[in-house]
Amino acid sequence: MRVDSSFGPIDVAVSGLQAQSKNLDIISSNVANARTIDGGSGEPYRRLEALFKTDSEGVGGVELDEIVADMSDFKKVLDPGSPAADEQGYVSMPNVSLPTEMINLNAATRAYQANVAVLKRYQAMIEATLELLR
Amino acid sequence: MTGTTSVVDFLQAGIKAESLRQKAIANNVANLKTPGYRRIAVKFEQLLAEAMNSRGEADLDQVELELYHPNETAVKSNGNDVSLEVEVGQMVKNSLRHKTYIRLLNKVYRQIELAIDSK
Repeated sequence: MRVDSSFGPIDVAVSGLQAQSKNLDIISSNVANARTIDGGSGEPYRRLEALFKTDSEGVGGVELDEIVADMSDFKKVLDPGSPAADEQGYVSMPNVSLPTEMINLNAATRAYQANVAVLKRYQAMIEATLELLR
Repeated sequence: MTGTTSVVDFLQAGIKAESLRQKAIANNVANLKTPGYRRIAVKFEQLLAEAMNSRGEADLDQVELELYHPNETAVKSNGNDVSLEVEVGQMVKNSLRHKTYIRLLNKVYRQIELAIDSK
């Protein structure tokens, strides 16, 4: 006998909340490291991006598939006084663009709110059904 | 199996299960940042289903509530696997279940009252 298959939309909405909160983690990491010259492997911080996938065929929740690094070129900033400058006086800066991150932050927040709205609405629906039992 | 009493028994078992579940959720939320903490959950529906025979009867005394570590959610770097979102979802489900049981219980008692009043 299959047990606990009810309340599907709640699980789906929760998976959306989790995915978006991880997305928020990644965006905040990008913003925090927007000027990090040492990303650990001898090069500047590389911008990260979250890739999502559905966690089952057809109707199902979402899950974080993988976190991939943005392989676009680093920005070169002329700063001859910096200890990290190369022979020409340029410093490699992370390939993070703050406006892009802000837009992604907005999108992630909205997506999170949308999942909360689904959860709330579903809860209200079930409560409406329960009113029939009064 | 006599109608009314057994319905009340089932509901009582259900309410017991989700009051324990509420405690488990509270525990998980309280330990949101505790290093190495694994979330706990209550096993009830599954045990009830196993205890039920083909005629839909079950000896509720045999169904013992069981606390266990599901170990299903992703573990964070500090060895903790509690996710606030998951707990909130569980809490919503739990309160809906609670409401359902209470409403049903209310209905049963009203039926009994009706039977007593209609002399």
